[in-house]
Amino acid sequence: MTTQATTPQVIVEDRSFFKPILDRLKIFWIGVTRNKSGFVGFLGLMFYVIVVIFGPVFVAFDDEVKLDQIAAPPGARVQLLTRVENVGTYTSLESLQGKTVGIVTNTGGELMVEDYLEKNPDAFTVEDERWRSGRGLDNMLDNLDAGDVDAMLIFSETVKRDVNEQTYPDLRVSNESLGQSYILGTDTQGRDIFTHIINGGRSLIMTALLAGFLSTMIALIFGAVAALVGGIVDRILTSIANFILVIPRFPLLVVLAALTNLNNFVLLAVLIAVLSWPVLMRAIRSQVLSLRERDYVEAAVALDLGMRHIIMREILPNMISFVAINLIFAVTGAMYEQIGLIFLGMAPINDYSWGVMLYFGRTRGTIFNPDSAMMVLAPVLAIAFFQVSMVLFARALEEIFNPRLRASV
Amino acid sequence: MATHNKVIGGVEVSEPSLVDKILNWLQRGYSNYIFRTVIQALVTIWAVTTFTFFLVRLMPGNPVEVYIAQIINTENLTYEEAYSRAASQFSFDLDASPVEQYVDYMGALLQGDLGTSITSTGTRVLDQILRFLPWTLFSAGAGLLVSFILGLFLGMLMAYYRNSPLDHILSFISAIFSAVPNYIFGLLILVVFGVQLKWFNVGDMRGTYDPSLTPAFTLEFILDILQHAFLPILTYVLGTLGTWMLSTKSSTMSVLGEDYINVAEARGLPQSRIILSYVGRNAALPLFTLLAISIGFVLGGSVLIEELYVYKGLGSFLFQSISQRDYTSMQGVFLVITISVVLSNFAADLLYSRLDPRVRISGER
Repeated sequence: MTTQATTPQVIVEDRSFFKPILDRLKIFWIGVTRNKSGFVGFLGLMFYVIVVIFGPVFVAFDDEVKLDQIAAPPGARVQLLTRVENVGTYTSLESLQGKTVGIVTNTGGELMVEDYLEKNPDAFTVEDERWRSGRGLDNMLDNLDAGDVDAMLIFSETVKRDVNEQTYPDLRVSNESLGQSYILGTDTQGRDIFTHIINGGRSLIMTALLAGFLSTMIALIFGAVAALVGGIVDRILTSIANFILVIPRFPLLVVLAALTNLNNFVLLAVLIAVLSWPVLMRAIRSQVLSLRERDYVEAAVALDLGMRHIIMREILPNMISFVAINLIFAVTGAMYEQIGLIFLGMAPINDYSWGVMLYFGRTRGTIFNPDSAMMVLAPVLAIAFFQVSMVLFARALEEIFNPRLRASV
Repeated sequence: MATHNKVIGGVEVSEPSLVDKILNWLQRGYSNYIFRTVIQALVTIWAVTTFTFFLVRLMPGNPVEVYIAQIINTENLTYEEAYSRAASQFSFDLDASPVEQYVDYMGALLQGDLGTSITSTGTRVLDQILRFLPWTLFSAGAGLLVSFILGLFLGMLMAYYRNSPLDHILSFISAIFSAVPNYIFGLLILVVFGVQLKWFNVGDMRGTYDPSLTPAFTLEFILDILQHAFLPILTYVLGTLGTWMLSTKSSTMSVLGEDYINVAEARGLPQSRIILSYVGRNAALPLFTLLAISIGFVLGGSVLIEELYVYKGLGSFLFQSISQRDYTSMQGVFLVITISVVLSNFAADLLYSRLDPRVRISGER
């Protein structure tokens, strides 16, 4: 152990305005980059921020039901199907100028053709069949086989399933990468899962942030009041905290959600916050109690600097790191409870989110269907990476706020 | 306070009255750790029962009224008939004042009467709960125990080999484990290992045991129970392991810096004894305060995990009664889950005081 340096030090205060802010940023950056896993968490969080804020601007939510694309795996696309002799000729929508194109209603093919015809109204004639539980598809394939239409647009998974050497020996795929490819495949209604992932995080993250913020605020105020006022107030607040702590939070949330017909996110956030402050409150209470005994606080009291100065200048700055880290944990906790409630169908499910995707996974059996694994896996991974990023970032913060590190700047 | 004063040898000595004696006796009793813990547990249970009583009755959209309206609609009863039916099922007199209702409810509770189920008429809620409770206690308890022991071991390993690659890997893993919600692990296990890789048959793992077997104390039956409980237990372990590892690591590191460890090493005590009796015991102590919180968390999380795996325990029963608006069952299950948490905390407190005699004396933890 090194002994404390005894040379008297002259402290020169830097009065420039930007210095403290720059110092803080520098400390932040060093802390974030020093801890590798913390850096990963930081990057992950930035990614989520970008996706949640800017994602919906670029990737619109896909709610168009496409009958032929039900639960398609990643990478599936629309394909162009023609008779063998035309394989070389009809390879794109442009090459079908003046011809007849077959489509089936409410399928990926119909949507593509509609888009194309909007730009080129006189490109080709369209012949369509109603889907009627798949019959329309067979009819159109027969039409194509008979030469009534020149080409047809259908989805790659449908081709794999229904068109082969035995069923239609004369039909061939002339272009297998037409239209967009679905990075994560489609859900049981043929809707693009990727757009759901991009659009489905905002409400969850906002609610979790609100709940975490409220819960931390309650904990901070109650903890500080309990420690500073003491006496009967302290005893009442601590008893309330201990009581709430012992009630299993999630079942209570489920019961409350059922009794109140929970239907908006603010109420959900408030409920979560009201039930989750006690752990942090007790920690803050004991921190304030111990900080109150410190010499510099007693000196401030002796100097009669006022309660406001003591709280804002002497006590809060010493707890801000602790509070910040716990705010993050409060947000992850709120995320857990919120998605859990949505998963059970007890929280608002009209707004499509990662949680609702899991809810459908449970209620529509997509969990147990090998073809629709992405419908469950995608939100599962989105949630898991968000939680992991938050926790890793919190640990990096711990290091940033570590005084020994700060001294080295 | 009324005291009779006596004069002994010229000095006035006050003789304590009966009230003082009782107060004094209570005070001394209260300073006894076990006594105080029992009192605290009882007060909490009382508070929880009161809370559940008012929870179901004072909520917006009073469930009793909702239920009455429901039977009027579905079974074409008059209001009075529906009213008396609701009263008998909730097992309290609806005409009575809230205070009388409360007294009746508490009286019934003391006799173990939780009312009868609303949706399956004639079934006593208590019987239902007793049917489902053991499974939840078994799976959640086993999960917590396994993850506690495993976390203790891995956390100590991390502390002993701190800053080694092993520590870094385990730290990263524990950070991930502590971050990911347990039902997310459950979904991953089901989708990846069950449905995609087909390592197990998802359908076979459902329920608490194979209905074709008769419950008996045979090896076959026990293995079947373990097989069905395996996924829930695994999920509970994964969901809590990270927290145990991280907390054990930090508490072990602080113990390793203590003087008595250096002294023990200087005395030439065998490493195994230092690790177990000196480091392990002291490092595990702060974890018992965490145990209290995590019991509530695991039992509470059972609603999700059991619903996910279709494991017929108390959690899935709670969810079932909530979705069927079976308020009496819901109230009973919630009460029993909470009381289980209180009792588990009580057990953890007692264990803690056995391991750390300082707690019994000073009463602070």
